[in-house]
Amino acid sequence: MIRDVDPALMQKIRRYGKGGRLQVESCFQCGNCTAVCPLAQDSAGFPRRVIRMAQVGMERELLASEDLWRCYACGECTATCPRAADPAEFMAAARSYAISRYDFTGLASLASRSVLGNLLVFAGLSLFFALLLLSRATPSSAHLPFFDFVPGEWVHAIGVALFVVVGLSMVAGLASMILRFLSERRREGVPLRAGALPAAMASAILEALSHQRFRQCNAEEPAPAAQPWYLRPWVVHLSVMGGFLAMLLATTLDYLLKPIGSPVPPWYPMRVLGAAGGLICLYGLAIMLFRAEPEDEAHWRKRTFAEWFFPVLLAVTVLTGLSAEILVYLPMTPAGHAVFIVHVVLAMDLVAMLPLTRFAHVLYRPLALALFAWRHAPERQAAAAEA
Amino acid sequence: MLRLAADSGRVDVLVVGGGIAGLQAALDLADQGLKVLICEQQASIGGHMIELSKVFPTLDCASCITTPKMSAAAHHPNIEILTSTVVDGIEPLHAGHRVRVTRRPTYVNNDKCIGCRLCEYACDTECVDPFDASLGATRAIAVPFTNAIPQKAVLNPDACGTCGTCARVCPTGAIEFDQQPETLEIEAGAVVLASGFALNAMTVKPQYNAARSRNIISALTMERLLAPHGPYGRVLRPSDGKIPGSIAFVQCAGSRDASIGVPYCSRVCCMYAIKQAMLLSGALPIADITIYFMDIRAFGKGYESFYQNAKAMGINFVRGKVARIVPAEDGDLLLHVERTEEGIGAIEPVRHDLVVLAQGMIPEWHAEACTPVHPGPDGFVAASSLTSPTATSVPGIFVAGAAAGPKDIVDTIAEAGAAAMQVTRWLRQEQQRPVEALV
Repeated sequence: MIRDVDPALMQKIRRYGKGGRLQVESCFQCGNCTAVCPLAQDSAGFPRRVIRMAQVGMERELLASEDLWRCYACGECTATCPRAADPAEFMAAARSYAISRYDFTGLASLASRSVLGNLLVFAGLSLFFALLLLSRATPSSAHLPFFDFVPGEWVHAIGVALFVVVGLSMVAGLASMILRFLSERRREGVPLRAGALPAAMASAILEALSHQRFRQCNAEEPAPAAQPWYLRPWVVHLSVMGGFLAMLLATTLDYLLKPIGSPVPPWYPMRVLGAAGGLICLYGLAIMLFRAEPEDEAHWRKRTFAEWFFPVLLAVTVLTGLSAEILVYLPMTPAGHAVFIVHVVLAMDLVAMLPLTRFAHVLYRPLALALFAWRHAPERQAAAAEA
Repeated sequence: MLRLAADSGRVDVLVVGGGIAGLQAALDLADQGLKVLICEQQASIGGHMIELSKVFPTLDCASCITTPKMSAAAHHPNIEILTSTVVDGIEPLHAGHRVRVTRRPTYVNNDKCIGCRLCEYACDTECVDPFDASLGATRAIAVPFTNAIPQKAVLNPDACGTCGTCARVCPTGAIEFDQQPETLEIEAGAVVLASGFALNAMTVKPQYNAARSRNIISALTMERLLAPHGPYGRVLRPSDGKIPGSIAFVQCAGSRDASIGVPYCSRVCCMYAIKQAMLLSGALPIADITIYFMDIRAFGKGYESFYQNAKAMGINFVRGKVARIVPAEDGDLLLHVERTEEGIGAIEPVRHDLVVLAQGMIPEWHAEACTPVHPGPDGFVAASSLTSPTATSVPGIFVAGAAAGPKDIVDTIAEAGAAAMQVTRWLRQEQQRPVEALV
């Protein structure tokens, strides 16, 4: 079989990890990472095989690999790698690379390759949204409620436009992943039956909501140092994700059900839902950002900029949002307006950067899990029939 | 036997370590007329080589090669051997070196002991035998092992109940319960460091769970199981005495692994695993034997054909680093490994009933702690240059064998001879040095 290879692929992926200091070319394919990973036992598809694809330049296969997204970055492979090749960080870098390649605007590549690019995109978007919002602001209106200071309809119009643009670009990205997957599986001659698709999608949604696979991370013997349940990575991730979804739901329902800017009491259900989601999300973010790592793992668990940028952005957005929730019940001041503006701008940044940063995993990962389940449906059925 | 150290306090060459490297260097030097003192920390000379069953790639009996060397050194008119002796420091002088050594008490006077073993037969306190990888038993007072040199009894103070039986039966009154450590200062013209290697701990990789199963054994334990005079006289697995039907060798279990700080190759594990696999297929003809490796490094003379012979004999070679070993209820072990040469698929844990870990070779003795020599980045004594592999950073101090880095027996013996050559050359240069240069 003739394959196109890109000899520079590894160099390209390197730029997405650890500020270009990723040492994954020292990998000599011993297979320790795959064998030690509790999540790779059923397919042996990662990390070694993905590293191999990068080493020999099989870009097409790498971008069509749903295995890229089956890793939850627990880091056990990196902790035990005989070559200090850091497979966990490589997997994260390869996912960032895939996000950039699925994105057709080129902004994702700019935002995830360097700290400067990330800040540049962030600053540009913030400036754009801030100017857009303030262009309709009423001057010298210190005591106006926020949605009279900047017209609520205008805020919502920008929001809807943003969701449409981001939605379209995510659809393009997801389509890119699906098309690459389909063409590669056709080349390999993997049979795919449309009938198995609904079950595969259901399994992916179930995993996203329950974190069933995520719970297996670091759960193999010897048992890791006893960790209380509320600090386990899957609980922390679930609280960030759940809190985020609750806030998203509250905002959407608010928009759909409530007249813009109409005052509501603090126990209004959407408000309670949003506030609770915000607090749960903040808890997860705080653990993510401030948890002290075990000393023996400190040498590889140095967080990269890309790793903490998104949690910090989300945390500041939630904090300003919660402050705004309180501020609406107090007399409005210029400081209050500032908090509102910052919150709205950051929330819009967050949405706008969805297709561009590691944040995009919220859509790519479930899709990849569904594609994996779809591909392996015949084997699963055979195994189930046998059992 | 000479009595240089005690009588004059001066020797031509002091050799640190009485393993195969030290013995070979001492013999080569003594045969040239130099007075040599060997300091060995164990109660017998012979080092690791006397523990081995057979040697690769010839499958010669290790004892049959080592014992004559030990005996030749012990009976050489120019060699004195101090056992149970550790080197505390080496200090360069204008001419030669001052070496401080401590003789540890064995509670037996070696001048009086005649090796008759009456004490050993009379002693009724049993303890584990460290020579047999702690699988067999010995007495609290005993000659270290059958072919130990010197044949002198040693009392184990941790096991001894001081009942006095040994002292009553000893025909020469050699038992001295009040023996104390004794410090000596020796002037040596030159020093050869032949302190050898140790193996890193079985527990260095927690994923291997070695602390939780007696059936995960060290390669040196397997040597004892295979030796004709080993603890069981046959190969049985330690937990329940079952004859193993499926044996796994896990290579690179303590070296070539940056995650445990031993990135270098230990150089002998591939070959001894192949050798042990061959011996096992003779001892247990129906057993399945699998070697899990990352690369087979069979680089010496005759090694590659040894490897190919092993493959032809039906020993399984699986390429993939074992990532995890999980003990099962029945004493068996489940190995998690990706078969990297066999394509994609699920990783099914493989069941074996005995697992041999190829631990990494690390320095036995850290010479830099009490001598002026420099270690290399791997912790072993560094050679002064590529073209003088046996010279250290200090003139007059030389290195040979595994003290300089992981090495097999053939290379060790060659290097010991080379070190002996460099020592005589250096001593001759020193003698011809003008006197004023010394002041």
